[in-house]
Amino acid sequence: MLAWSMKTKIKIGEKVYRVEISEIKENLIKVRMDDKDYFFTKNNLGELIPVDARTKDFGVLVEEGEVLWETLAEKEIRSPIAGIISSINVKPGKALKPGQKVATLIAMKMENEIISEISGIIKEIKIKENQSVDAGEVLIVLE
Amino acid sequence: MKIQKFKTLPSTNQKAKELAKKGAKPWLVVVAEKQTSGYGKEKVPWFSPKGGLYFSIILPKSKIEDLQTLTILAAFIVAKTIKRNFPLEPLIKLPNDVLIGKKKVAGVLTENIIGKDVKLSVIGIGLNTNVEKFSEELEDMATSLKIELGREVMVNNEKILKKIVKELKEQLKTISE
Repeated sequence: MLAWSMKTKIKIGEKVYRVEISEIKENLIKVRMDDKDYFFTKNNLGELIPVDARTKDFGVLVEEGEVLWETLAEKEIRSPIAGIISSINVKPGKALKPGQKVATLIAMKMENEIISEISGIIKEIKIKENQSVDAGEVLIVLE
Repeated sequence: MKIQKFKTLPSTNQKAKELAKKGAKPWLVVVAEKQTSGYGKEKVPWFSPKGGLYFSIILPKSKIEDLQTLTILAAFIVAKTIKRNFPLEPLIKLPNDVLIGKKKVAGVLTENIIGKDVKLSVIGIGLNTNVEKFSEELEDMATSLKIELGREVMVNNEKILKKIVKELKEQLKTISE
């Protein structure tokens, strides 16, 4: 379970890198730059030092290519289950509050109201009515 | 069994969701003598005049797979209740409907509110017990126990409701453990 995470972009020269920083375990911080992961831990002095999280010495094992996008993406609302979008209840540019209904999804013959658990301004709606979506697929992007 | 009774409601599922959001406990049953905007899957209207049985149950927090199983089991329980109490042969049209002949006599609709996980769930059941007749558009698709029996259903709606809720409760225990 992630304790916290943040997402940003940095520009070095002409290239923009996507950077995500997250605490993936107690005392283990992961920095993902584009698709490469770097790990840091705190030493006895409280300084952050780079470590190889895949080594047994550290006592943790992070699988190669382990994807943490879903928990990192605090500005995205993803479909919790697979199904078909039967209606969309929000519009781009509008504010969204936690608990607000964003769409109805028919899944496994049940009607599911998808609600937001985050707040923000809707930047993009990635779905259309009658579209089928997979579990984890991004439905709404917030600013 | 805690039952909240209403003379008229737009929809028992809507009311149950509203009560659950306000903190009503699982297994509260909401029943209405008639619904003015009763609906089934994809908001298809469910004709709900006085005489029929229309109720919804607030479900305990469950896994989505268990809720799907419960929906199927609910249709099965309704069919079994009909079969045990009346000389009729109901069929289940998976996963939501109960038919007699080719006509719908009961329907089940589970609605969930989901964020990152399931926040709340209600299951609604409409059973056409003593519905006198259906409109011309519906009469080829829908029927009631009264129409099929050719007489009034003598078992009262509340008794049928209690039997269904009791079985659902037992079934959910079995599948979620």
